[in-house]
Amino acid sequence: MNNSPTPIHVENLRKNFGRKQVLRGVTMDVPAGSIFGFLGLNGAGKTTLIRILLGLLRPDAGQCLVEGIDPLIDAIGVRTRVGYMAENQTMYGWMRVGQLIEWVSRFYPSWDSALAASLRDQMRLDADEKVGALSKGQTSRLALLLALAHRPQTVILDDPTLGLDPIARRDLLRDVIGQLQDRGATVFFSSHLLYEIEPICDRVAILHEGRIIQCAPVDALRDQVKRIVVTPMDAARLPELPGLLDVQAQDGQWSLTVNDVGAARHALAPVSRSEPTVMDLNLDEIFEAYVIGRREAPHA
Amino acid sequence: MFIRLEPSSAVPVYRQIVDQIKYQVAAGMLRSGDRLPSVRELARRLPVNQNTVLKAYELLTHEGLLSRRQGDGTFVTNTPSVLKKSERLRKVSATLAQAAAQAVHFEISADELHQLLNEEINRVAAGGRSDE
Repeated sequence: MNNSPTPIHVENLRKNFGRKQVLRGVTMDVPAGSIFGFLGLNGAGKTTLIRILLGLLRPDAGQCLVEGIDPLIDAIGVRTRVGYMAENQTMYGWMRVGQLIEWVSRFYPSWDSALAASLRDQMRLDADEKVGALSKGQTSRLALLLALAHRPQTVILDDPTLGLDPIARRDLLRDVIGQLQDRGATVFFSSHLLYEIEPICDRVAILHEGRIIQCAPVDALRDQVKRIVVTPMDAARLPELPGLLDVQAQDGQWSLTVNDVGAARHALAPVSRSEPTVMDLNLDEIFEAYVIGRREAPHA
Repeated sequence: MFIRLEPSSAVPVYRQIVDQIKYQVAAGMLRSGDRLPSVRELARRLPVNQNTVLKAYELLTHEGLLSRRQGDGTFVTNTPSVLKKSERLRKVSATLAQAAAQAVHFEISADELHQLLNEEINRVAAGGRSDE
C-alpha cells in the first residue's frame, strides 16, 4: 500500500459571488488512477470549483487538497504538479506552435521535451504554424499537449470537448485514454454532456445547485437508476418511495424514475396494483432525472 | 475486429462490446483461435475506459467464449458454449421478445417476422460475410 495522497480531496467547499451561492458545501474525493467525470449544467459552478483547486480563486469556506497540497498555501506548487486545460483556453495567437511550447516548458521543472515532441507529432501539429491560425480542434490538442508534457500524475480538464466537432472530440478522448489512463494518471474531466464522457469515465459526480447530488461509478448508476412504470397509486404514498427522482403521468400510467431500483420495487410491492415494468435508461435520461426531475404527484 | 458503439443507448458500453463480440463469433466473423486486440488497444480505438473493455473481456472469458493467456493475449476459444441450455434459451428469448415487440409496433405480421428470422439464420449459417 503506498502513502501517496488522494489526487483531489474537497471538503465542504463554499463560494459566493455577491448574493449568489455558487458552491454550497461541496465534498468529494477523486481516487488515484481514475478517470473522474465532473458533471453539471452550464453555470452549475464546475469552473468555479476547478479554479479554486488551482489556487486561482479563494473559497469562502471549506478546504481542498490537490496531491496533498493546499492551493491556498502553495498555488504554484499545485500548478507545477498538475496538468490543467482551461475551458475555452486562449493562447498567444501571435506565437508559433513551437515557440509557445518552448515558452511554456520553462515554467515546469519536470518538462519532458522528448514527450512534447512526440505528442506534437502524434497530434499532427506543425511547429511553424501561428497559434492564432489553428482550428478549434488543433487549439484544444495543443492545450492538451501543454497540460501533459510535464508528466503530471493528476490532470484537470475543464470542459475540453466544448465546441469541438465529433472527430476532434473523439481524438481528444482517445488521447485521454491512450496518453493518461495508460500510464495510471488521474483525470478530472468536467463536462455538461454525460453521454459524451460516459464511455471514458470510471466514476461520475453530478454538481447541481451548489452541491454534489450524486457521486458513483458509472456502472452503478446504470444498474440502480431505472424507470418504473406503474398504475397510478395514492399520491400520499409517493414521498415514502425511497430515492424518487422524477414522476411523470402518461396514458393513464405513472412513470417513476428512482435511484435505487431494488429499494423502490420493495417499497412499491404492497401498494402497487400490478406488476411494475422496469426500464433501462441512458445516461442523459439519468442526468436529466437528477437535475430537472419532478418529485410531486402528477395532475392527471 | 470491428466494434461500433451507440453512445446514447440504454445498453451499458461493456454490454454493447460483449454483445457484438458474441455476434461476431456466432456469425463466423471471429473464429476460434483468432486473437483479439489487447485491452489497451481496443480502449484507445473506441475510445472507452480500459476498465470497460477489461470488464467485457472478463465476462466473455467467464462465459467461456474467450481465453486470456498471460502475456500472450486474448483468443476466441473453440468451445461453442459453456452455458447451460436453459441459460442460452433464456438469453435468446430475451432478444426475441424485443424483436417481437418492435414487429408488433411497426405492424410487421408474424409470417413476415418468421421469414426475416429465417433469412437471418441462413445468413449467419453462411458465415455472416455477405454484407462486408
